[in-house]
Amino acid sequence: MMGNITLGQYIPGESVLHRLDPRSKIIWTVLLMVAVFMINTWQEYVIMGAFIAILLIISGIPVKQSLKGLKPLVLILAITAILNIFFVKGTPLVKIGPVAITYEGLISAVMLFFRLVMLVVAASLMTLTTTPMAMTDGIERMMKPLERIGVPAHEIAMMMSIALRFIPTLMEETDRIMKAQASRGADFDTGNLLKRVKSFIPVLVPLFVSAFKRADELAEAMEARCYRGSKGRTRLKQIRFTMLDLKASLAGILFLILLFGPRFWLW
Amino acid sequence: MIEFKDVYFEYRSQSADQPATRAINGIDEIIREGEFVAVLGRNGSGKSTMARLMNALLLPTRGTVWVEGMDTSKGEMVWEIRKTLGMVFQNPDNQIVATTVEEDLAFGPENLGVDPAEIRKRIIDAARYVGMEEHMRHSPHMLSGGQKQRVAIAGILAMEPKCIVLDESTSMLDPKGRKEVLNLVRTLNRDRKITIILITHHMEEAVDADRVMVMDNGRIVMDGTPREIFARVDELKKVGLNVPSVTQLMHELKSKGFALEGPVLTVEEAEESLKAVLDKRRKTRGAPDDTAGAGAPSEVIVRIRDLTHVYMPGTTFEKKALDNVSMDIMKGEILGIIGHTGSGKSTLVQHLNGLLKPTSGSVEVDGLECGKKTLKELRQKVGLIFQYPEHQLFEETVYKDIIFGPTRMGLSVEEIQERVKRVLKILGLSEELLEKSPFELSGGQKRRVAIAGVLAMEPKILVLDEPTAGLDPQGSEEVFSFLTRLNKANGTTILIISHNMDQVAAYCDRVAVLNKGRLEMLDTPRRVFSHGERLHELGLGIPEITRLFRNLARAGYPVSDNVLTIPEAVREMAGTAPGQGHDEGGMFQ
Repeated sequence: MMGNITLGQYIPGESVLHRLDPRSKIIWTVLLMVAVFMINTWQEYVIMGAFIAILLIISGIPVKQSLKGLKPLVLILAITAILNIFFVKGTPLVKIGPVAITYEGLISAVMLFFRLVMLVVAASLMTLTTTPMAMTDGIERMMKPLERIGVPAHEIAMMMSIALRFIPTLMEETDRIMKAQASRGADFDTGNLLKRVKSFIPVLVPLFVSAFKRADELAEAMEARCYRGSKGRTRLKQIRFTMLDLKASLAGILFLILLFGPRFWLW
Repeated sequence: MIEFKDVYFEYRSQSADQPATRAINGIDEIIREGEFVAVLGRNGSGKSTMARLMNALLLPTRGTVWVEGMDTSKGEMVWEIRKTLGMVFQNPDNQIVATTVEEDLAFGPENLGVDPAEIRKRIIDAARYVGMEEHMRHSPHMLSGGQKQRVAIAGILAMEPKCIVLDESTSMLDPKGRKEVLNLVRTLNRDRKITIILITHHMEEAVDADRVMVMDNGRIVMDGTPREIFARVDELKKVGLNVPSVTQLMHELKSKGFALEGPVLTVEEAEESLKAVLDKRRKTRGAPDDTAGAGAPSEVIVRIRDLTHVYMPGTTFEKKALDNVSMDIMKGEILGIIGHTGSGKSTLVQHLNGLLKPTSGSVEVDGLECGKKTLKELRQKVGLIFQYPEHQLFEETVYKDIIFGPTRMGLSVEEIQERVKRVLKILGLSEELLEKSPFELSGGQKRRVAIAGVLAMEPKILVLDEPTAGLDPQGSEEVFSFLTRLNKANGTTILIISHNMDQVAAYCDRVAVLNKGRLEMLDTPRRVFSHGERLHELGLGIPEITRLFRNLARAGYPVSDNVLTIPEAVREMAGTAPGQGHDEGGMFQ
């Protein structure tokens, strides 16, 4: 059953992070992620870790939820950690045949691990506190200046949000069609790659037919509700850069100074 | 409010050699403000085209349509027209634009450029009105069909319309959802004086309208109050429509010489007029019973023991869909499976051909234990037809689509061709269709072709999930007539999931009632439907005819309290003779 997938994984809440303008959230998430890549001393790791932990507490998001994004990365994480442990040269700790686990290797594996965790948590802090709608709104507004050079900002944002809206619906539909074709003897699991790819034709054709039909009907429904592009359109949720965003941004700047300042002072 | 003057409409054809299809063939009609109009007609009669002409989604080929004095063909008025006249479409999924309910409700007012504070006020109002205020932050795919349609209606209310057109908006809903939407529409008409145009092929829905229009071949062929229209039973039949079952019963009784007045639209009215007749009559014959069918040799074909199924065990979404179900399905029977949405019907049948595996318990089909090794054989024994099977058609030609299953069974070409012929005959499809693309067929034909693809595998057990959903009365009748044919001729065991109690009562040998994943009852329709109160508690109904006779019997009239179908009801009434009424009492013990 794929009926329960949540997209954008938004968790409703009223925290400061929830109330921020999506634009400031997008910008600050990017800055934070860049900063995570730049840190390299253990002191910086501690400050960064503490900061992200505080944000997590403020947001009221359960820790488990924020770490969910790590799941698909586990394999990559494991491989890079192993590579680091065995191939970083330095003082050997344990020797297994020709390869040695070095002290430096262990350290860099641990750091890499924490770096990835922080990246994932930082990214999910944004996706978990922002509705997909607000996110597309934010992107639309940030792209607004590009409209002058012919970038259809509103249309792109509208397409993104409709895609988000229909992904669960189409997943359910795929599930249904696969079951129906399996009932008619279709076999998706055996044979070589080519055969398996071919076995999906009976699923893909109906899926496309239905997607086009849905698109057609949705367009009609949107027209019937007076949709005519961005012209003269207002928004229920005005996204506005408020005092809160200003304060948050100041806090963010202070944090960056605290994090990287010592590099200059200690010079 | 809306005026059609000499309106014609043609759909341009795709290719040059085909003539344009004329969908609307001369309509002159005025719909007044505050009216509740039901538009009836079979599939393809032009109902939906007429609706689209009203809000300028389509423009007439000839003639003019005015909405509140605005000519729909004048481009500059189009937004004003669509604001005045909102439209709810058939498929609940394909009209919700946004990822949350509240954003979707705001979509219309946003397009109109309404001030954000005012939008907020309007959507809260609208959500409250349709009873969805608790779901403002919910994502649409978590809602039921009925809830989605209520969201669609609220989205239109937020635009402050004067008229709402519902284009078959109830046809994809379960009975509960349908009731929700109809009640809402009725209140809107009564309390807010919003003009309602309800397009449907469910006759019962037209009963509450002020006015009924019947369409056929792009024309309005009848126009009047429900009472006037439903009196013309034979004419309605001619245009492929039905009347509510009590109306049909009273019509047949009248033709049998019973002195009944005027057409009857509801069970309550039927009760009153039958009481008047029965007061002067007494009973001459016994009650109907099931002994005729019983005693037939019964061999078990499906054995289900302690079947439990849990979806997504161990997660927050964990759901027990089936809870310790044990039942036997008999060879050659037609078994109805009823239960409200989410009661476990679909989960149950998906175990029969191994699409789902039991969490615990066992399923044995025709001597085969369901498991990985038996999967292929199992799927040949059990043909499973999902709701809207036409959505699964994919081949270039009808023939190729039908042989998809048989080919995978490894049958010889001759055998396959033989089977295709047999199947077409059972389904009443012509061989000319075979070389056509399945996508150019009509809705009813597509459905039958999709069913043919499963029948050609010649399963011993055929399972259908709501085989008549979305079909008009004629289409539904066709489906049931070939199912009974199949059952009689080949002895195929048939399982039907249905929400339509009239169908269950008329065609099924036994009925299984599911509730919250448990098997609540399994018995003949007559015995199951005698538990009217319990079924009502489970959110299920009983056939109208059954309800009518139960009410009469309870009031002490000399009829059986357990009548299932119209023919039975006619016989039951014929089984009374003029003479002493029930008031004398003591006659019938």
